[in-house]
Amino acid sequence: MNPAEKLFLERYIQSPKRHLWRFSFLFMVLGIVISVGILSTALNLFEGYERALKSVLLDSFAHIRIENINGELLPDTLISLTLQKLNSKPEIDSAIPLLTTNLMASNGEKARGTVFNAYDTTSVHMGNYAKYVKEGTAQLVQGNIIVGHYLAKELGLSLGDTLNVFYPRLDFITPLGMHPVETPLIITGIYHSGFYEYDRTLIIGTLQDARMLSGANDGFSCIEIRLKNKFADDINLYAEKYNKMLNNDLVALPTTNTTLLRLVKMQKWLIFIVFFFLVLISGINIISGISTQIYDKKNEIAVLKALGAPKSTIRNILGYQVILLCLISIILGLILGFIASWVIVHQNIYQLKGDVYFIDKLALYVAPFNQILIFILASTLVILCVQIPLRRIDKMQVIDLLRNP
Amino acid sequence: MLCLAGYSLYKTYTDIGQEIRVLQGTNLEVECGDFVCITGKSGCGKSTLLHILGLLDEPDSGKILIKGQEVSTHHPQANQIRNQQIGFVFQFHYLIDDLNARENVVLPRLIAGTNKSIAYQKADELLNLMELSDRALHYPNQLSGGEQQRLALARALINNPHIVLADEPTGNLDPQHSAEIWNLFQNLNRELGQTFVIVTHDPELAKLAHKSYELKDGKLF
Repeated sequence: MNPAEKLFLERYIQSPKRHLWRFSFLFMVLGIVISVGILSTALNLFEGYERALKSVLLDSFAHIRIENINGELLPDTLISLTLQKLNSKPEIDSAIPLLTTNLMASNGEKARGTVFNAYDTTSVHMGNYAKYVKEGTAQLVQGNIIVGHYLAKELGLSLGDTLNVFYPRLDFITPLGMHPVETPLIITGIYHSGFYEYDRTLIIGTLQDARMLSGANDGFSCIEIRLKNKFADDINLYAEKYNKMLNNDLVALPTTNTTLLRLVKMQKWLIFIVFFFLVLISGINIISGISTQIYDKKNEIAVLKALGAPKSTIRNILGYQVILLCLISIILGLILGFIASWVIVHQNIYQLKGDVYFIDKLALYVAPFNQILIFILASTLVILCVQIPLRRIDKMQVIDLLRNP
Repeated sequence: MLCLAGYSLYKTYTDIGQEIRVLQGTNLEVECGDFVCITGKSGCGKSTLLHILGLLDEPDSGKILIKGQEVSTHHPQANQIRNQQIGFVFQFHYLIDDLNARENVVLPRLIAGTNKSIAYQKADELLNLMELSDRALHYPNQLSGGEQQRLALARALINNPHIVLADEPTGNLDPQHSAEIWNLFQNLNRELGQTFVIVTHDPELAKLAHKSYELKDGKLF
């Protein structure tokens, strides 16, 4: 940096008031702060949403299910054989047989369609759902169930209440039609997984109750596999691998909706591109602000030219001041983005609709990569926008400036 | 030795469709250590001649020599020549409002890339010479007209130029401040041997110069 450029920059830093409150600069700064703030807010919230959704989807329940290819129950012998094969896999965290069935649940007044997931609590360890049981107990005994908090809320039930479940069995045909089996079950736990669909439809109970309802004496619907966290991003890959390894009657299906996660990620970057247009518009403000600045400073430019300052030095004298101001504005925008997203996450006026967005709570995540990306892109844009009007200085004739002060 | 020379300088302006021939083969030779004044009626082209000699404007034809070297606005080192070989003093002084007196003086030296401490040392010497040491940290708008012009002169001298070109340096000053500035020019010429070419519309002041020319019909007499 030429000593003259340094002198002007130092002067600007030491007494910025005279420059800051110039009208055109004020709008330039506001434009950058607001546009970067909006972009940062959007990215913080979408990053938070993506991470929260991913965490809930990957953490709540199984990643892969091994089922019978024709939909029939898997006999206990086949379950044992398959579990033996799976036990040697280092990527598997747990593999648990599960009996799952669709039921109607009623409190006597209202009824809801539910999914009943039953585990053999006597022989295997608990499923991962246990850590989401926020009220009551995660330990299951025959006649007890754990329900999602939305289901409990919709049916007006709480711990200790009885929920009647109905299962339409084909072997219970009466002259009036199919007669469902009805069983009262006591709610001993309420879970909050954060994933709306689970919290609203899933009932977790014992294998004995499920078999009693369905009339099946043995067998399971599937084996639920949870991968260890570090392998959880490759669910599809492992499902394919198990398909090759398994008996031809069995199929491994990924249960976690990886497409949804990819969609959310893509949506985040689309939002980034859309909101970056706001920063582009603030770039136009910069061009306009500097053009006004050049007009205001034409005497100064004339003097600098008369004193023999090269074009690049004159451009830098004006450019460095604006770039410094813009970089500070970008940082202020990022801070504004953090504050705005924090306020949005903690406000109570608008809540996320779980039935639309899968999770019911907004989340904030300030990813350093996103912040650096915004800073680099906005800074590059600022530097480019500063250069455009500064090129006019090269064409300005010192004599015209001196003759028409 | 010739410090500055201009030969066969022509310059024509077009104003509202009308051609105004301000310089018509003007010739000027300035020896080193000279104190030259150029007078003439308002609008006769005095300032234009000075701007052309100082490489701020381009003649339609003709040539300019500084210390024997032919120069022009298109010269690859035109900026360096303006910075180091020529000093300018304008009627409206054109000081930079955001810089204080000391920084205004030091500016051409910093543009030349000189070390900061050496540049400021020279600026302080000149402020002392111009009797402005106690005003070093004042901004131009805190100085009187005479002080502002002395400051502009200090700025013109900081790079030890071969020649100082002054365009109506006292045109905006009252008689007392005007006399002060003229005394300063004369002292600098006498004591330091500084070469001056000064444009003025005041023939009385021009009498104080070693050589005085009148620009008339585009030529110097």
